Amino acid sequence: MTEDMNALPYTDTKPVGAADFYFAINATFHFILKKMGADGLRRYWTDLGTRYFATVTKQWQQGGLAGVADYWRAFFAAEPGAQVKVSHTDEVVTLEVKVCPAIKHLRENGREIIPCFCQHCYFINEAIAAPAGFTARVTGGNGACRQTFYKRDAQVPEQDIKHIKEVASC
Amino acid sequence: MLGSYDFCGHYEWTFEWLCQQDGEPLVREYWDTAIARDSQKHASALISEKGIEGMKEYWGHTLDHEAAGYALSATDDVFRIDMHACPSKGFLIRNGLAQYHDYCDHCMGWIGPVMKDAGFVVDHEHNHCGQCWWEVRRAEDVTPPSAPGALSGENDVRLMPEWKTNQTDHYERSTNPDDKTTLP
Repeated sequence: MTEDMNALPYTDTKPVGAADFYFAINATFHFILKKMGADGLRRYWTDLGTRYFATVTKQWQQGGLAGVADYWRAFFAAEPGAQVKVSHTDEVVTLEVKVCPAIKHLRENGREIIPCFCQHCYFINEAIAAPAGFTARVTGGNGACRQTFYKRDAQVPEQDIKHIKEVASC
Repeated sequence: MLGSYDFCGHYEWTFEWLCQQDGEPLVREYWDTAIARDSQKHASALISEKGIEGMKEYWGHTLDHEAAGYALSATDDVFRIDMHACPSKGFLIRNGLAQYHDYCDHCMGWIGPVMKDAGFVVDHEHNHCGQCWWEVRRAEDVTPPSAPGALSGENDVRLMPEWKTNQTDHYERSTNPDDKTTLP
């Protein structure tokens, strides 16, 4: 791993996360969806973005789009099996997720993935990005997608949830 | 994306979020339903099918993957873990993350139901500083927990100087995260 792990707010002694934790992430989404419905699950994702990831928002406020790109490079370097290209200009940061590590691992292990799994990336990203002066968009999903971060005053269409694919488990 | 690298951070945060939504019973239901019976169903299947051999197989694999400092000991009748450096509690301590009042309860929260389903009970203590020990026996076996050093020798976490802390939570022949006594 060659990325600057200081770009991550929380660091560990191991270089890469344990892939089986994706089982728990998916199971948590399942549980909250069943107990609280889609609105509850979206509230969970938004609260995660605004509260748990508040330190990331601060980093992005201070580092601008270069800070956003540095974060994602370090983030995906620590995710087992991720294949992601991160690029940025003065106007935009783009994540081309060629292999989503979570979907890959869940699928390889025959786990039932909630259909709206990929929406969590939009709701968490947007909750982190908005107070930092950015806005997030997601297109694609189901194992590969494009995630984009713009300055908040950029004239970009609202996120259309229909542009985020539902996940097929197998 | 919600990642695996800092999983323990957002996992611990989720306990408190659930607690704020609908109290402690929802947290217990989460550990039982989402973690024991969904996320960790591979562990449950192994242990139900193979008993103590399944425990050795599961924890040998998963603790290596989480880069834990630990020792496993087993006989035909008992499976023991001495956790010297819990990878998840260690992550939380090093990063100053503490939203929920007792993160360590989550282990009994999911391991308890798995063991209950498989016909085992658990003796366990954790010291809230990343050290704990577990002894798992069949439910009909009334053998008390081993004396320090008797089962795992010098690997017994109770013999280590850092074991003694201000508060240790203690479980006897339990499978319930709330069935604990707190020792000063």
